[in-house]
Order: sequence, then structure tokens, then C-alpha cells
Amino acid sequence: MTGINRRAMLLGTAAALAAPAIIARAAETIRIGVVSPETGAAAESGQYMRNGINLALDAINEKGGVLGRKLEIVVADDQTTNPGAVLAFSRLASDHSIVAFIGSIRSTQVQAMAPGVLKTAKPMMIGGTDPKLTHQGNRWLFRCRPNDTYSAKTIAAYGVQTLGRKKIAMIASTDAFGTGGREALTSELKALGITPALTLGYANQQADFTPEVLQIRSANPDLITSYFTYETDLGVFAKQLRQLGVRTTWLGSPSIVDTAALELAGPALYGTYGVADYAVNASPTSKAYAAAYEKRFGKVPDNQSSWAYDATNVLAIALANAKSTAPEAIRTAILGIQGYKGAEGTYDFDQNGDGLHGYSVVQNQNGKINFIKYVEFPKPS
Amino acid sequence: MLAILPQLLYTGVGIGAVYAIASLGFVLLIRAADVVNFAQGQFSMLGAYIMLVLLVGVGVPYWAAFLLAVVLMAGFGVLFAGAVYWPLRHRSQLTVIISTIGASILLPNAVLAIYGPSPATVPGLFASQGFRLGSVFVDSQYLSIIVIAILMVVLQYVVFEKTLLGKKLQATSQDKEMAAMLGISVAGMVLFTFAYSAALGALAGVLVAPVLFVSVGMGATLALKAFAANIIGGYGSIPGAILGGLIIGLAETLGAAYISTPYKDAFGFVILLIVLLARPRGLFGELIAEKA
Repeated sequence: MTGINRRAMLLGTAAALAAPAIIARAAETIRIGVVSPETGAAAESGQYMRNGINLALDAINEKGGVLGRKLEIVVADDQTTNPGAVLAFSRLASDHSIVAFIGSIRSTQVQAMAPGVLKTAKPMMIGGTDPKLTHQGNRWLFRCRPNDTYSAKTIAAYGVQTLGRKKIAMIASTDAFGTGGREALTSELKALGITPALTLGYANQQADFTPEVLQIRSANPDLITSYFTYETDLGVFAKQLRQLGVRTTWLGSPSIVDTAALELAGPALYGTYGVADYAVNASPTSKAYAAAYEKRFGKVPDNQSSWAYDATNVLAIALANAKSTAPEAIRTAILGIQGYKGAEGTYDFDQNGDGLHGYSVVQNQNGKINFIKYVEFPKPS
Repeated sequence: MLAILPQLLYTGVGIGAVYAIASLGFVLLIRAADVVNFAQGQFSMLGAYIMLVLLVGVGVPYWAAFLLAVVLMAGFGVLFAGAVYWPLRHRSQLTVIISTIGASILLPNAVLAIYGPSPATVPGLFASQGFRLGSVFVDSQYLSIIVIAILMVVLQYVVFEKTLLGKKLQATSQDKEMAAMLGISVAGMVLFTFAYSAALGALAGVLVAPVLFVSVGMGATLALKAFAANIIGGYGSIPGAILGGLIIGLAETLGAAYISTPYKDAFGFVILLIVLLARPRGLFGELIAEKA
């Protein structure tokens, strides 16, 4: 009995001695909460997202961190569902040592977390491109990708003005992202005097796209435009489109140049155009990012990681400029970032919290994504 | 719009045949063990992953990988029975259902943890993607699926109606106590059904993988439709499962083409509702009715 007591006492003493050390270490790091899909339909993009964050984080910490402290991330799984995202965020929000968040690339999940973010009143970097997210009075959301007003503007401008197409078919997911994209593209086309010849919605996770493809074939458009959310849906659609003999030019939202989509659909996507917020050859910074990413992870990066990489860097810059971890100071510092060259493009934050205002147009040439041009739009005042 | 009808019918029957095969596995378990297995779709997912690993990871030839995936999943079916069903077999049906729901959450997440989240492709049964027959593109994979579905139905019929094993299985499903008194090994029959049902699930999975890709979420996509097919056809009815699968496949494809694409998934379930209202026991009635 005495032995046990002595051992317990020793353990207790050790714990008591170690405790202040643990507290001191915790105070040294600046903690950033990350809500990412680790399980569920988009688990794949969660992995890419963490790759991007870690790449930025390690570089920052190697140089001594920010404000003399190292950065550290705390990851919570959103399960690729809206309830999952809300749960993951509330878990992170209850941890008061977390100073800022990196949220989802999926608009619908950002939308679900938005009320919680507003209540927590700490900055969240987001990758969802539904324009509404930064235009509904939530001052704590900061977007590290250009929103879909710009993807729609770019699709409309390139499809109609550069390629000269008039008879346009549109296929979009019925979720928040797809609906936002469809609405934005419809209004941009209208501004150019064009009503789409065919608009199709589909629910995510379809096993077959024959009815959609046949309707497109019957409408005989000269340009197909798309807002696909999941790579598997895009892959099934692309394969069946080609099998059923549709060779029409296709200009899609960024998912069409997504690494996973390229792997799944293969030759079915050759020749297609896409608008991309991240393109390897868009700028020296994006090239350098691709090289670093490929060296470490053995894969060519896409926007699933580049936005998160930028989000981490933007946060680090904001923290350094703010010289504080107070939410309001970080917010002001983020909005003050102008002309920062990230992997996705040049960040000029506007008062809504949108960092980027343009898209690249790229083309899939035999599986290689070739940069065509960058279309920049003026920042709203 | 009538010009596209033949193509729609072909695809509708093809996708319907996938639902039908997946649904067959469901029905067998209901008949033999009175178990509604919510993890049935996950058998398809696991089968597809086993094939993927054998094919790409180990480098086994195509047909061997295809057959091995189905055989290995039959073995997995026995393990599944031992872990998910056997300890709870004397409890209420609901307890077992919840246990299978648990398995349906565990299995995809286990695959996610082991294999990672990237969806992958596997080649189809034939090198050619298909051929053109008049205005119809005959996708070779859907053709294989339809042919294999027909073979499975014939096999199922022969096994259940013409062999002693089938008679034992039927006897077990109708009255376990009576079957046991007649010297039939009830446990053996139940385990056999689990194995067979998992193999059928795997078959659906490896067949649909070239069309749908191999992904962690594929099981859920299949399971819901297979379950609805089973209810439409008649709870626990084998011909009903086949017919139900085809009805859902066709309803989705035709409904999406002629009425609305966003509500594609709804058409199958609208038919489900109509059938439940008009013929609550499904098109081919329910086992209870036969027993009464």
C-alpha cells in the first residue's frame, strides 16, 4: 500500500511540476481553429486543405512564427455536412485560446457556420464562393478566393466575348454553391444580352447523368457552362457527355480543373475550358507554390489547398501587422492587406471581406492545365 | 424529345439492374434472418474497394480481382453476421436494425481511415466503352450489368426453388423453430445467407464501380435506392426486388429527362409512396401474407 501511495505522490508531484510548463508552452503558440472535411463526401478536399495550411505554417514557424510566437492549428472535422460544420465550429469556438479560424471551401457549410462566427466575433477565413457570404452583414468572414460573381463574370466574358458563343446551356448543382453560381451566371449573361438556351439543376451524388446529357444534346448549344460541386458527379457527367457524342465546347467552374476530377474523368475532359482561382502558371507566386507543394506532397496542387495556404499567410500577416491577437485588431489588419501576392492571386481586401477580384481562364490540353489569361475586375468601393 | 427515349430506356434499365442486384442482397437477409440490413450498401462499397486494391495495389489480373472481391466479401458477410447480428439475434428486430446502422457508419469511416478519401477509377469489364446501335449508345458496362443481373435472378430462382439448400433456406426463413426441429442447421443457413448477401452487395459494387467511381460515399447512394426497390416490389420478395429496382431506375431516368432534373431522386420515392398507398404490401405482397 505504501508503495502505491508513494508512487501516486511522485506522479502527483511530477504533474504539479509539469503543469506550469504546459501552461507556459500553450501561451507561446498562437492557435488557429481549422474546420475541415476530414470525413464524408468531401474528405478528399480536407486533406488538400490541411496540406496547404501546413505548408504555410511550417514556413512561417521556421522563420520564428508571428509576434515571437509559433502558430499552431486545431482541426475539427465538419463531416462534409452542415450540422457537422456547426458542431465542429462550436467545439472550436468554445476554446478561448483560439484567435482566428480557417473555415470551409464549401459555401453551404460556411453559410451554416456564419451565425456562430458572428456570435463568436473572431475572424474566419473562408473559401466558399457563394457571393452572399460576404454580403449579408457578417463582418467576420474573409474570403481567400474570388467569389462567384467573378467566376460568372469571367465565364460570361470569355464564353461570349472571346469565344463568340451565343447559344448557352448551363448545368449546376442545386446546393448553395451551384445555385449561387447559376444565379450569378444567368445575370451576367443577361447583361451581355443572352438568355441561356437550357438551364439544368441536379442534386449532388448522382449515379447517372444520361437524362441531363440527352437534354443538352437535344438543345444543341454552342457552349456548355457548369457549376459542379463534387468531382464524382463531374466525372460521371463528363464521361457520359462524351459517350453520347456531345463534343460542344465546355467552360466550367473551378471544379473542372480540380486534381481529383482530372484523375477521374481523364480524356473526357480534354479540350475543356475552366475558370480557375488557382492556376499553376498564373504568376511567379503560384508557380513557386506549386513547386513547394509538389516537392512535399508529390502532387500538383489545386485550389483546394492554395486558398488555405493563402488564408494561413494572410492571417499571419494580419497578426504581425496588428501586433495583437485581439479580434478587432486582426480584422482591421486583414482589411488593410493590399497588394499581397498569394498563390491564388493578388489580395486587395475590400470592405466586404473579399480578398480577390478576378479569375484565370485555363484549358485542359491532354490532361495538362494550361493557363490562358487572367481576367481582373475592379474592386468594389 | 421522343428521339431520346430508346437511350433513356437503356440507361434506365442499366441503372435499375444495379439497384436490383443490390436489392437482392437486402431481400435475402429479410427472408432468412428477418434482418433489415442498413449496411447493405456498404457491402457494395467494400467490394469495390477490395477490387481496387487487388487491381491497382497488388496487381492481380482483372477477372481474378473481380471474382476475389466477391468471394472475399462472402467471407466478410460471415464476420459481419458474427459481429453485428449474432450477439443480438434474440433481441427485437429494432436492436438488430440499429446495430446494422452502426455498421453502416463504421464501415465507410474505416475505409476512409485506411484508404484515404480520394475517389478512384477502375476499368470496366470490357476494354471498349460501348458501341452504337441506331440512335442508342450501348454502354458496355451497363450491358454487362444487365446480363449479370439476369443471370443472378436465374441462379437465385434455381437455388431457392430447385435445390435442397434452397428449400432449407426457405424453411428457415419461414419458421426457425420448426426448421430446427427438422434437423436443419438454422445457424448455418443464416450464416450462409449473410455470406451470399454480402457477395451480392459486392457484385453490385464491382459492377457499378467503373460507372460511378470507387468512393467512400458510393454505398449510401446505392443503399437507399435498393431499399426503396425492395419496398416497391414487396417487402422480402425476390421478383419484387428485381422489378422494384427496374422501376426506380426507369422512373428516375425518364422523370429527369421529361419532367425535372433537380427532382430526379424524388421520382423513385413518389412511386414508392403511390405503391405504399395503393398496395401497402408492395407489388408482390409480403411474406406474412403467404404465411397467414
